[in-house]
Amino acid sequence: MKVSLFITCLSDTIYPRVGEAMVRLLAKYGIQLHFPSVQTCCGQPAFNSGYWKEARESAKTILDAFEDSDFVISPSGSCTGMIHHYPKLYETDSVMRERAIKLQRKSYEFTQFLVQVLGVKDIGAVFPHKVTYHPSCHGSRLLGIKEEPMELMRHVKGLELVPLPFAEDCCGFGGTFAVKMADISGAMVTEKVDHVLETEAEVLVGLDLACLMNIAGNLHYRNQPVKVMHLAELLYEGVKQA
Amino acid sequence: MAKQVDSHEEWLKQLAEESRRKQETFMNGIAEKLRRPRITSAPEHPFRGAPDFWKAFEWPLEERIDRFEANFKAAGGHVERLADMEAAKRFIADKAEALSAKYVIRQNQPELNELGLEGALEPLGAAVRVWNNDPEENWRARAAESDFGVVIADYAAAYTGSVTVLSSKDKGRSVSLLPTVLFVLIPLERLKTRLGEILPDFDAAGREALPAGIHFISGPSRSADIENDLTIGVHGPGVVYALMIG
Amino acid sequence: MSTAHTASTVKERADLALNDEFLRKAVKFTTERLRNGKKQASEEHGNWDDWRERGRQIRLHTIAHLDYYLNLFANNARANGVHVHFAETSAEAVKLSLEIAQRKQAKSVVKSKSMVTEELHLNHELESIGVEAIETDLGEYIIQLAGETPSHIIIPAIHKNRYQVADLLSKEAGETLAPDTSILAGFVRKKLREKFLEADIGMTGCNFAIAETGSMVLFENEGNARMVTTVPKTQITLMGMERIIPSWADLEVMATLLPRSATGQKLTVYMSGITGPRRQADADGPDEMHIIIVDNGRSLQLGDPEFQELLNCIRCGACLNACPVYRHIGGHAYGGTYSGPIGAVLTPALQKNVAEWDDIANASSLCGACYEACPVKIPLHEMLIYLRRRKLEQGHGNAAESIGMKGFAAVMGNAKRYAGIVKLGKLGQKLVVRDGGIRLKLGPLKGWNTYRVTPSLPKKSFRDQWGTLEQELRHGLQELDPNVRSRMESIMRERDNKGGNGHG
Repeated sequence: MKVSLFITCLSDTIYPRVGEAMVRLLAKYGIQLHFPSVQTCCGQPAFNSGYWKEARESAKTILDAFEDSDFVISPSGSCTGMIHHYPKLYETDSVMRERAIKLQRKSYEFTQFLVQVLGVKDIGAVFPHKVTYHPSCHGSRLLGIKEEPMELMRHVKGLELVPLPFAEDCCGFGGTFAVKMADISGAMVTEKVDHVLETEAEVLVGLDLACLMNIAGNLHYRNQPVKVMHLAELLYEGVKQA
Repeated sequence: MAKQVDSHEEWLKQLAEESRRKQETFMNGIAEKLRRPRITSAPEHPFRGAPDFWKAFEWPLEERIDRFEANFKAAGGHVERLADMEAAKRFIADKAEALSAKYVIRQNQPELNELGLEGALEPLGAAVRVWNNDPEENWRARAAESDFGVVIADYAAAYTGSVTVLSSKDKGRSVSLLPTVLFVLIPLERLKTRLGEILPDFDAAGREALPAGIHFISGPSRSADIENDLTIGVHGPGVVYALMIG
Repeated sequence: MSTAHTASTVKERADLALNDEFLRKAVKFTTERLRNGKKQASEEHGNWDDWRERGRQIRLHTIAHLDYYLNLFANNARANGVHVHFAETSAEAVKLSLEIAQRKQAKSVVKSKSMVTEELHLNHELESIGVEAIETDLGEYIIQLAGETPSHIIIPAIHKNRYQVADLLSKEAGETLAPDTSILAGFVRKKLREKFLEADIGMTGCNFAIAETGSMVLFENEGNARMVTTVPKTQITLMGMERIIPSWADLEVMATLLPRSATGQKLTVYMSGITGPRRQADADGPDEMHIIIVDNGRSLQLGDPEFQELLNCIRCGACLNACPVYRHIGGHAYGGTYSGPIGAVLTPALQKNVAEWDDIANASSLCGACYEACPVKIPLHEMLIYLRRRKLEQGHGNAAESIGMKGFAAVMGNAKRYAGIVKLGKLGQKLVVRDGGIRLKLGPLKGWNTYRVTPSLPKKSFRDQWGTLEQELRHGLQELDPNVRSRMESIMRERDNKGGNGHG
């Protein structure tokens, strides 16, 4: 059985520690992850902007990378969500479309895999901090990841989960949206961070690095000391402490 | 329009001819865009109406009464449960006295003819008009100047807290709309659980049997258009009493 | 804000809105109230997704057989004594409306809320032939006095506060009215009561048209739509050609979805089904009734697999209330009759000229809140992407962006080139990184860094570290739990047998 890591470009280049945390946590359960190095980016920036030809160039590396994998795990609901768009992206190419559908069926976001496939609820972590959670839009709305992270966090000893007001509201990232409509995006992330600060949490946790980078960027800009973590990082941190 | 026509009727006839021609173009255009031949016989409609699990849903009478009351009140309406029509008459008369009503308009229905509102209200100084009992009268104006309107519900639905009134020669649409205060008498046997126990009756009746106006009323007229501040009685009656009889 | 109409792009109009403190607060407050209402009402009702799916199926079925159902509706309405008309364009619909008004020698028209008449700018057209057009929905009346257009489908005057409303109504009253909601509404009731009673024509939109009986259905809370269809001698209804549902039984599903999604009500205060003009013996209701069936770009969506579902929309406004972009910029920034996510898709879709409206499709973070809120599950977030793609296909791309995307494809199409670029980035960033972050406000980073600090690239990417990490973990790897292994194997078997999209 071949379980592969779809690292996503953000984790690969900016947040390698998230990939490492995932790899180490899954090893605990006897999952030896494979890392096919031909993978690049899921193609979402181009796809969402309407540049589908360009998106296919990038998507092809993902299809090639995971052709013979049985399970494909990523640290991002959004990038796994993009794989769900591949059949549409290759609508007119029946061979590629078939490959896309196959990939879609075996792709999982990290917490989905942990809870749905491995059946893990209590990962044996200790994290005595006040934490709030931002459910990223693509993961929660397009993949329906709602209960999985909650289940995992509920079992972390010492973790105090504070509800984030208007949690389901988009943080304003939206890929090229943040550049093209910078002021609207800025207003959205500012409001998101206002809500984070309202919770007085020490840590903001999430499942999507793009959103976390956006929120962390605004916190940093405002010199706010709230720590921003991917849930894989938090769990790994907690397992080390246990 | 092609040629100048004189009478209004002639003009309408000309529009009708044009409309029929246009109708063909329109429908053919739709079929063409949908890339298939015109559909001229009823297609199978497997999703008609509410989901199946909903169609069997029904509350017992006491619960229907309670739920109707809760919903109607939540929408800002008033609900009274009264033993019989006599009690309804007394209730309306008391309100007329308390509010110094001058004009009352009611539907021309046998149950209301028997009620004897006239006898109870006229000594209190309130004139009772009976909808459309004189074809020469301007009934819209009479309804508009009325303090009270009195109607009998044809149906009521507990789940949404709604009453249904159907129009006819003897049942004016204005009576439930133009007066300041509306009284709707609801015989309990007409109180259903769901809208789905009422609406299919109109399908069953068929086009030719339908009245011009079918109105579901679920409380007093309201608006939240100014700063979200709820205002009652914007155009329709601001005070609505649902009187449950039986 | 009326100034919003003079700004030419969504971005400029959004900037105006973002700087208008009251507007932002008012829009936030109202959309929050409405979406909480919806959430509560749909949860209380239960099985919400089953109802949404049912609503979607009814709408899909009707639109897929629109020639049959619309034809049936027209024939039945005509048999009820309605004068039915067809208008392919807004100009035709305007022409018909004005002709009826002139034939009836109308001096005034009282109107209830209708988005179609907004599309046609009908008030303006009526005024141009000397017919007074009076909006009678409280919110519509307020913005008509202000000379503006609705900024929300359900709450048209969402952007006005009570002081502004008091000023507008005081002018109309010829005396100073206190900024008290009940006083203001009381004035409007009295004033419009006179207008209803003297108007020659009542004009309405149409929420649903029932094909099998030729009836039209209106949902409202104030009673003004009932006034408009009860008091004047002539009624004109303008309806989009897609407003059809087959039967009254289907209306139950729409009546379940629409009010809950729009305002969180179990049913609007009034739901009226009008079947033809008044019967001969009736003492109220219109003597003459016209229904104008309007295309105006709607049929362009038919047979288009990416956009046909747009015709399923029941105009509830739930997507506006859910949208985080709408919440910050309000309705006028969208620049068309329809605002919010539905407007961002519908406005260009109704116009053949996609390029002219292209920037509206960019005003979305594609978060999908609109789809989640939609009572008939229209995938607006996907349609926005299709619009962006079509704009490019039609040659209206932005030159700098397409160069950027070509570069993206070149780098991302090949893992070696990708790794090389990352290396270059690590070198390049040395010039700009301060305290572990990049604050430079230049080039593409300008907008981003106005609100954020950009993280710097770490020394080693994940792929740089992989070799060492893999070796380390290969030793001391746990044995995979046999139960888990068998579960994984059964998942694999199941997905091979199943034709669907698997999990998620």
